[in-house]
Amino acid sequence: MMSQDQPSTEDRCGRFWNGMELLKDVTEKKHLLPTGLEGIDTLLGGGLRRGHLTEVTGPSSSGKTQVCLHSASLVAAKHLGVVMYLDTSNSFSPSRVATIIDGTPDLFGHKAKGCEIEDVMRSIICESVFDIFALFEVLNQLEISLSNDKVNNGGSKICLLIIDSISSLLAPIIGGKYPQGRSMMISVAMILKKLADEHNLSVLVTNHMVSAGNGAVKPALGESWKAVPHVRLVISRECRSNICTATVLKHTLLASGSTVKFTVPS
Amino acid sequence: MSFVYGAQNAWDMLSDEQSQKHITTGSGDLNHILGGGIHCKEVTEIGGVPGVGKTQLGIQLAINVQIPVEYGGLGGKAVYIDTEGSFMVERVYQIAEGCISDILEHFPHSHDKSSSGQKQLQPEHFLADIYYFRICSYTEQIAAINYLEKFLGEHKDVRIVIIDSVTFHFRQDFDDLALRTRVLSGLSLKLMKIAKAYNLAVVLLNQVTTKFTEGSFQLALALGDSWSHSCTNRLILYWNGNDRYAHLDKSPSLPVASAPYAVTGKGVRDAVSPNHKRVRVA
Repeated sequence: MMSQDQPSTEDRCGRFWNGMELLKDVTEKKHLLPTGLEGIDTLLGGGLRRGHLTEVTGPSSSGKTQVCLHSASLVAAKHLGVVMYLDTSNSFSPSRVATIIDGTPDLFGHKAKGCEIEDVMRSIICESVFDIFALFEVLNQLEISLSNDKVNNGGSKICLLIIDSISSLLAPIIGGKYPQGRSMMISVAMILKKLADEHNLSVLVTNHMVSAGNGAVKPALGESWKAVPHVRLVISRECRSNICTATVLKHTLLASGSTVKFTVPS
Repeated sequence: MSFVYGAQNAWDMLSDEQSQKHITTGSGDLNHILGGGIHCKEVTEIGGVPGVGKTQLGIQLAINVQIPVEYGGLGGKAVYIDTEGSFMVERVYQIAEGCISDILEHFPHSHDKSSSGQKQLQPEHFLADIYYFRICSYTEQIAAINYLEKFLGEHKDVRIVIIDSVTFHFRQDFDDLALRTRVLSGLSLKLMKIAKAYNLAVVLLNQVTTKFTEGSFQLALALGDSWSHSCTNRLILYWNGNDRYAHLDKSPSLPVASAPYAVTGKGVRDAVSPNHKRVRVA
């Protein structure tokens, strides 16, 4: 909601907004970033909303990373801004990204060629993160560079932050006798939502699923994480095919429970 | 233009990836569904029922990673962490001999080369470049994985770490399943970090278990739903009649696919000739 300018002291302590200002802010700034997967874009009313934290959850090999790679490629190919991709499972595949970009027309309907692909791929920045402390470090650096207007990538700012997957960083520390893990999880949630709000980022995280008994599965990270994402999407893939099903578990704007089938292009 | 120190853009990563060599499995069909072989900087999980060839593939990879650069290999060394005691060194010697005879078949002119090249192509040389750790409890396993980072820092020529199997001790002695999940997810992040930092392949062999889903029991890899997220790629080995097949079940960059393979006297090879088939003992 806040402007992208340096926040002054007044801004920090309770500058209030009226409804009309909020509406103006939404129409001007809270754009939807396409994921490039038609079914998901339809389901989400156009894509990932800036300022929001979207979570994609699903069993192993259901297509969560594909949603992340597609969103990163689409946003870059349409020159919407820079993508920051935090990878915890060495699954960011540059060759896959190149293939997706190659098949994506830009805003004017032209396909990217040669050197253009290079420019597009240079606007996706990837960093490996293997523990929660490294995540805090990266998010802290990101916040500093976003607040510092001088550091921007030739005029284009980060518009999408992807963490694939947040649950593998949190799983080793939550549960058990010690409450520190849980408080670190909530700190991560607060930082992500603050970044999304103050810098108009769309944040996309993936979560894995755990057994809920009786052979059923549920999203991991428990009840207190459940309240964190604005949008929760669960996806599953049919055995040995690339047809996936996506269901909205939670959405702050749209009715939840709607389901759509989509195909991950090979 | 860097927002975060050390972060790389996708274009630079693409050129890095394209210059990478992959570790051949010994079977062309298997290499094909894996996009050329086992990839460095990734964690690959290989699962299957007992006797389908997990350990054979593990040993094969420990040998193949050592194929010298001039013969199209990586010329690296291997770390083999054995938790089950199934690493049979006589078999390793056989597979090394098989690998060498295949190299000489593909490069018939290598006989003309200097004696130093020939000296490399000895089974003894291949055996000497496998660092073998025998692990007898989960405590030792956790300690070994924690120690790996230091070990690899001192042995930078290691290009593959094989854990055969990651499961064994964690299936026997653990009562607190929530604790097991936490410990395992911590280990998997460490292995991911090692793979990336030292530019090597991590191969985890896993056992199967039965899982009750949708009203029936089905085979699934052990260690649960949470663990299933802990690898970059997953390859499942299975029997199809009397033939061995591999199914690529998970990969961020490749489509799901299956391919037949065979385990011969020389090691893992393509399933072409019918006399390579072993009659399955039921």
